[in-house]
Amino acid sequence: MIIETLWQQIEGSSLGTYIAESEWAFPTFETLHVIAITTVLGTIAIMDLRLLGVASANRPVTDVSDDTIKFTWAAFVLALITGLLLWVSKATSYMVNPWFYAKMIFMAAAGANMMVFNLLTYKGVAAWNNSSEVPLAAKLAGGLSLFFWLLVLFCGREIGFTLGVYQAS
Amino acid sequence: MPSFLADLLFAFVEWIRTTWMNDFAIWLSNTRFSLFFSEHWYMIPSLQTIHLLSISAGFVSVLMVSFRILGLSGKSLTVNQTVERYLPWIWRGLCGLVVSGLFLVISEPIRDLVNPIFWPKMVGVLVVFAASLWFARTARANAGNWQAGEPSAGVRAASVGIILLWLFVILCGRWIAYAPV
Repeated sequence: MIIETLWQQIEGSSLGTYIAESEWAFPTFETLHVIAITTVLGTIAIMDLRLLGVASANRPVTDVSDDTIKFTWAAFVLALITGLLLWVSKATSYMVNPWFYAKMIFMAAAGANMMVFNLLTYKGVAAWNNSSEVPLAAKLAGGLSLFFWLLVLFCGREIGFTLGVYQAS
Repeated sequence: MPSFLADLLFAFVEWIRTTWMNDFAIWLSNTRFSLFFSEHWYMIPSLQTIHLLSISAGFVSVLMVSFRILGLSGKSLTVNQTVERYLPWIWRGLCGLVVSGLFLVISEPIRDLVNPIFWPKMVGVLVVFAASLWFARTARANAGNWQAGEPSAGVRAASVGIILLWLFVILCGRWIAYAPV
């Protein structure tokens, strides 16, 4: 299929082969990916735990958000860049790996959950900003966020154990 | 990695192989406890996920405290309030790391114990613990000062140092898989 040729071309590009053949590149990008993804998850968890009323319950929700969101985005960009570099070097293996698709789906779900929260629920934050009891929709957003990101993490680790298992036909 | 470092690490693992640690790792890998983890496909990734969650809790808590100490973020809380908010999560993260790490070593004893990067990582972990204990004591002693003012230059430098220590431990953790053995 034409799309498989595309993955092969990406993997065979000079960047792809450089990363695949280099002794330092893949592990170094993985290390940066770990640092980035743990920072994404940790800073998101601070916000989610506030919404769930578990931590920072006495602080305005907007303060907790302002303290964490810039780190979340900075780390997410780093995770995206390093993730892309890892993917380029083994594109054909990732594109036949079910755990890779599962990871992308759960990441999209986490993103959709965040968008719904930002576009709908968070608009009314003024009414519950200083309250430890937030509306059910906000609590749900916090819980779902933690759940989806946990699954992203688990699928990411499964990819590492199954990259050689699934082969392009 | 540079070839002199690879040579050094390889010489180190060759030495580990001459010690009792080698026999211990082989014995441990054949225990039923170890086999239980390594024979269930979801066990090691699950333990690693808990390990990563613990890094998230511990490392991000260190970042939040350090950035507040450096005056880069979180100014709506005093330094003292920030320490109170995040110090418990540094301990929870470290505990999670030790427990999940212990199970990971039991799951794959030879990969970890007979590995030249695992041991520098363990030294790093001990230093992180010592530095965190020192920081907790310093924070308690300065609780009053930090409520109003800003920490000293020494504490600010130490907060950068603790971030670097965590990065060193994370780096070693990932490179255990790529050690010359």
